[in-house]
Amino acid sequence: MLSAEHIEKSFPSEGADVAVLKGVSVHLDEGDYVAIVGRSGSGKTTLLNVLSTLVRPDGGLLTYRGANLTSAAEKQLNTIRKSDFSVIFQFHHLLPYLNVLENTLLPFMGSFRPVSTELEHRALNCLERVGLADKARRLPGNLSGGEQQRVAIARALVKSSKILFADEPTGSLDRNTGEQIMGLLAELHGEGLTIVMVTHEPAYAKLAQRTIEIEDGVIVH
Amino acid sequence: MNIVTIPLKNMRRKPTKTLLLLLVFLLGVISIVALYQVSLVVGHSLEKKLTAFGANIVVKPSTETLSVSYGGFHMGDMLLDIKDLRESETTTAIRSIELNDRISVVAPKLVNMFKVGEVAIAAVGVRWEEELGIKSYWATDGAMPEGPEQILLGALAARKLGLETGDALTLKDRRFEISGVLYETGSDDDSVILMDLSTLQQLVAQPEAVSFVEVAALCAGCPIEDIVAQIQTNLPKTSVIALQHVVNQRMSSVRFVQKLALSISLVILVTASAMVGLSMLSAVNERKKDIGILRSLGYGKTRVFLIFCLEAGIIGLLAGAIGYLAGYGISLKALEYLSLTEVARPLFSVTQLAFCALVFPLITVLAALYPAWKGSSIEPSQALVSL
Ligand SMILES: Nc1ncnc2c1ncn2[C@@H]1O[C@H](COP(=O)(O)OP(=O)(O)OP(=O)(O)O)[C@@H](O)[C@H]1O
Ligand SMILES: [Mg+2]
Repeated sequence: MLSAEHIEKSFPSEGADVAVLKGVSVHLDEGDYVAIVGRSGSGKTTLLNVLSTLVRPDGGLLTYRGANLTSAAEKQLNTIRKSDFSVIFQFHHLLPYLNVLENTLLPFMGSFRPVSTELEHRALNCLERVGLADKARRLPGNLSGGEQQRVAIARALVKSSKILFADEPTGSLDRNTGEQIMGLLAELHGEGLTIVMVTHEPAYAKLAQRTIEIEDGVIVH
Repeated sequence: MNIVTIPLKNMRRKPTKTLLLLLVFLLGVISIVALYQVSLVVGHSLEKKLTAFGANIVVKPSTETLSVSYGGFHMGDMLLDIKDLRESETTTAIRSIELNDRISVVAPKLVNMFKVGEVAIAAVGVRWEEELGIKSYWATDGAMPEGPEQILLGALAARKLGLETGDALTLKDRRFEISGVLYETGSDDDSVILMDLSTLQQLVAQPEAVSFVEVAALCAGCPIEDIVAQIQTNLPKTSVIALQHVVNQRMSSVRFVQKLALSISLVILVTASAMVGLSMLSAVNERKKDIGILRSLGYGKTRVFLIFCLEAGIIGLLAGAIGYLAGYGISLKALEYLSLTEVARPLFSVTQLAFCALVFPLITVLAALYPAWKGSSIEPSQALVSL
């Protein structure tokens, strides 16, 4: 479904380019649940961002359902980001001035055409699914970290994304809340969602079907 | 819920900042509208005052001249078919043109030659009220005529006839009293007798006859050619002539007032626009995170660009609409204070309101183009660094 071959990415640092990804290859099949692990600074986030098209690689090939994403036009990438891919960041994924419901519907607010009531109902259903139906009109500032994560997950659900990319979704949460989120992800995976997750917690990595370990920009396991 | 929700809610989150920005631009719009309205009225009143220095259009019977010569002797030009104009018909026709609000004085005149003793002299019949409207520079050692039996003498005419204020003068067996002698004006008025038009018409037994009509038109904002053309349409058999030098001189004073107002407005507008642009630019950095989120959700560069422009446009729209209303109110107050409201009131127009509500958003959007471009060119990866 999504495949990355020999991905290379370096960032300029103190005048010289530092290679962060040194020829990484990853293959995802439909319904996969993959955990990316590794030490801090090993390049996990960078790899996840390359896979989710948010960072363009310097070399290598990224294909999604047969389409070459490395050379794809901005417009094609926007379409995929809007409908197929969802990203959950560690901290900020919500616009602070939009309420929970609006944030859930944000992918559909990009034009002058008002969001349909049908979609709105759907968004409310998804919020109910993640246990936030009663907080639909709240601003993100009034939510806990776990609740904010769940809004981002609800947003992925409304879009009926094909792949969910999550960068340490539990990193800023306490154990209890973190387990709730992991439970939710497992549930969605059970329904067929493909998930790629970066995590530091070996216990959470075990919940995934596969684990990719990265060290200094190279896959070691 | 659509793309407008995003800038709207963002503005609502920071009410103080939004209000401040709105206020700055609003002040700009208000001063522009008020300056414009006041300058229109002041220009109008200035022009009315300047009208006192003469007419700018002359309506004459159309004439054909024929040069007659015989055997090599030039026998002078013969005027063919000079018919006098009919007074009421002509003045009504002039007063009823489409731009009739621009006509301030219509002064008909009849000219006739008389012999006073051995001296040939022209008498000009005028409507005093109209005439004094365009000849407020007239000054006399006596008084302006009050009844039909009183006349005014030009300075040269008085010298030629050896008469002075208080003397009597007989024309065609009718006795007139000289109410005053004009101080020298340097114009044709110096060498004539000025009298009431109806009296002269009776005297020469030509009721209703008029030799020509002088018109004073206000032409700020409309070319004199239009007024001339409209009079010509109403009076096809006459010749209507614009005295361009009078017009040009008069317009340049009026234009100066309006140019001054325009330049001040421009400075204010540029300053206000720069404020809007700067404030947007400083917001780009602090909104990097937002841009990253939007980009990761499939918002393209144009969408992000549009969101910035919409935000600026909303400010412009509010400032344009409120500014027009407030500017209009302030111009009324200012004109009342300058006691110019009797001359002319500023016109409230829905078209102008709509114009403001359209043009000022365009200007704010223009001011926001660079920040919007900067914001939209932030790559999702760049924005992610701040996440
Ligand atoms: N945009 C960037 N510009 C410059 N250097 C970057 C950028 N993004 C990442 N790096 C560098 O690349 C290396 C890998 O970063 P990355 O964020 O992928 O690590 P990570 O494995 O996610 O680490 P952590 O577990 O701490 O999140 C780091 O040394 C980081 O400083
Ligand atoms: Mg990371």
